Amino acid sequence: MANSRRTVITGCGALTPIGNDAASIWDSLSAGKSGVQTISAFDVSRLPCRVAGEIRDFVARKHLDNKNEHEKSMGKSLKLMARTIQLGLIAAKFAMKDAGLERGKYDSTRFGIVFGASLISIEVNDIVDASRAAMENSDGGKVDMVGWGAKGIETIEPTWMLKFLPNMAACHISVLYDLQGPSNSITEDDVASLNALGEAHRHIGRGQADAFLVGGADNKISHLSLARHTLFLPFSKRNDDPAGACRPFDRDRDGTVLGEGATVLVVEELEHAKKRGANIVAEVVGFASAFDAKRDGSGLVRAIRAALKEAGIGPEDLDHVNAHGLGAKAQDAWEASALQAAVGNVPVLATKGYTGNLGPAAGVTELGFSLLAMRNGVLPPTINHQATDPDCRLVVHAKGLRPITKAYFLKVGFTGMGQSAAVVVKKC
Amino acid sequence: MNRNRRRVVITGMGAITPLGHSVASVYEAQINGRSGVDRIRNFDACKFPTTFAAEVKDFDLGRFLPDAERYRHCGVNTLFALASAKQALDDAKAMSGIDRTRFGIYLGNGEGQNDFFHLIPAIAAAAPAGAREIEPSAFFERSARDFGKERESELEMHTTAGHLAERFELLGPNFSCLTACAASSQGIGEAAELIRVGDADAMLAGGAHSMIHPFGVTGFNRLTALSTRNEAPQKASRPFDMDRDGFVLGEGSGMLVLEELEHAKRRGATIYAELTGYGSTADAYRTTDSPPDGHGAIAAIKWALGDAGLAPTDIHYINAHGTSTEVNDRVETLAIKQTLGDYAYKVPVSSNKSMMGHLIAAAGVTELIISIMVIRRGVIPPTINYQTPDPSCDLDYVPNTARERRVDHVLSNSFGFGGQNVSLIVSRYS
Repeated sequence: MANSRRTVITGCGALTPIGNDAASIWDSLSAGKSGVQTISAFDVSRLPCRVAGEIRDFVARKHLDNKNEHEKSMGKSLKLMARTIQLGLIAAKFAMKDAGLERGKYDSTRFGIVFGASLISIEVNDIVDASRAAMENSDGGKVDMVGWGAKGIETIEPTWMLKFLPNMAACHISVLYDLQGPSNSITEDDVASLNALGEAHRHIGRGQADAFLVGGADNKISHLSLARHTLFLPFSKRNDDPAGACRPFDRDRDGTVLGEGATVLVVEELEHAKKRGANIVAEVVGFASAFDAKRDGSGLVRAIRAALKEAGIGPEDLDHVNAHGLGAKAQDAWEASALQAAVGNVPVLATKGYTGNLGPAAGVTELGFSLLAMRNGVLPPTINHQATDPDCRLVVHAKGLRPITKAYFLKVGFTGMGQSAAVVVKKC
Repeated sequence: MNRNRRRVVITGMGAITPLGHSVASVYEAQINGRSGVDRIRNFDACKFPTTFAAEVKDFDLGRFLPDAERYRHCGVNTLFALASAKQALDDAKAMSGIDRTRFGIYLGNGEGQNDFFHLIPAIAAAAPAGAREIEPSAFFERSARDFGKERESELEMHTTAGHLAERFELLGPNFSCLTACAASSQGIGEAAELIRVGDADAMLAGGAHSMIHPFGVTGFNRLTALSTRNEAPQKASRPFDMDRDGFVLGEGSGMLVLEELEHAKRRGATIYAELTGYGSTADAYRTTDSPPDGHGAIAAIKWALGDAGLAPTDIHYINAHGTSTEVNDRVETLAIKQTLGDYAYKVPVSSNKSMMGHLIAAAGVTELIISIMVIRRGVIPPTINYQTPDPSCDLDYVPNTARERRVDHVLSNSFGFGGQNVSLIVSRYS
């Protein structure tokens, strides 16, 4: 489908378990060094999976400049934000800086934001007093709603609800940078940020805006979130080997791990980027979303084929596939059969071993790793891939640094229910 | 109208609302000025600052799907969505022959509800008297024992669109968004754009939400966003009235089948209306309040008009966001005047929320469905509870009694918490 308006990436900002800037992230990737460790945020000894990709020492306030009136004001709003949202906000700041964009120097009405988000669990410590008020006259362990209503509610911060609304990352970022164009918060979990990128790409294509911040942020490392996810996610049990726990496509994989992080890309219409002398990193040349009803990979195959078709290329033009690579038994097999069918022996890079699964932030964060690879001219290894699984017959790039030989890569993602996304990117 | 691009029409509709479990029943209640507001029944809210809401009454998924049991762990928003989706697809008729890989879904969908009744005891048990924080091990022991595995996995935000896509074989593009009160309008607009660009030929678009649970009411009460007119719940939602004191929570779901025009004609579909305009902007102002100059809302309305190729005077009815908050109603009035000029005083404006409350993520789609019925039936629902005019809200709000009028184009506004503004225009198909 020909379109005279093209979408380019002109900046990237990331906060990840393997670094918060391009240099540190690349150091970790090229050394094959995982950021997954034993969880330090609080006592997890009672949990079956006790490892995750954490970002240690993240203090949002430290990244805001008090001499900038908007950042100073945003500093006061930090208490309205869950950690997930703070991560997204700071990643947005890094991205804008990387792209050389300054508030006031662009047309705000044609600059939008599409953010990937998901359910943000409440912080249980925020409602300890209220919970006690609701249990002090409990009848047989049941919640006393009179206690909650009459005494508990007033112990809760007035702005409590705002901390956890999934659209608040987009909201605060748009306030900080005066982004008045289209604003959306895609809540599709593991494909959220890839869908967000696709939506921004389509917006630019139809001419309604010239620039977007496209991002995703997630932190599931909170008491309630871990309590909940422990019940239903296919977690690894390799607690004594955190760095080796998440093993995409490996024969001995035993499950996934979580990670926290945020990445924001600046995407722009090509002429807009050229006119302001932007550094054009890459171009988004294809996107598709599809549903895999049978959970056998056929939906992902359709998405990949549609994205390749839009890009006007075939699998032979791809340098590599940046896979979803969850590290879980069934999902990896499902994905492997899709990749085999759609792109055959194109080398596969899967990076969740480095970071854990960043959920809605995974898509753009992992895409960002491939952008770094393209820039440095070498593909880093898929760590923890030591034994091939006969159910995952893929060419997984697992050792050392391999030269980048072609201009395009494919990024894919999918959810456990079958929502699949594929993005084709060309290095500029 | 931009005739060079693919046109998007509505060929099926479904709704589960506080006013009834069908499009016909909600529209009938709306034109008869009936309120769906009452004391909250699904939990004991007697000591909450707000004790009432517009709940969906007597809902049973089993009336819509024979195997409703399958979905027993799903959140109530997913249940509402399954029912309204079934209605919409049945309404669209003869969709079985179409290419499912080009039939997708876009929902503006709310989060599921936390397991409040197991969570609160777990927190209290894990925080000994006087402690400001829980002891994690104690909390994790309780959660492992008391939380339900399936229930918790169904809370995740992608599950509603996943269930609908699986159940109704929607194999095309699959998106969910949650831009608060604008969400399902945004879903409809973006779904239409996917059809226009050729990524799909048909899209199920709409949304579902319920925040009528302890955390939802608590959260909004702490923000002082809800009306506290506990002594007269049915009079509480009074958009544009001088004595409005906040919005009333509703819940429910709406779904549309959106289809590319030629595709719809080829299969002989009934065409209800055409989706002609979509505008989406952000205020970039504050987390909750609209900016006093309404710049984001003004831009969204103008954008939608431009997208539809219509002049302000082509709009025959405005389905307002009209939440019954002091700020929204005043700023929305201003935005309508700024975009329509003097004509603003000649166009009827009404708020469906006066009767069914605010369905949050599902507000946009359910209000668009009512707007489509206005085009088809020529009767505009009133804004009920309108008693005392507010000088800063001086338009024609169709007070208290429905009005007959031929309507060809409706502007429907949804201005969300966090400053996302969506305006849709739906038109008589010609």
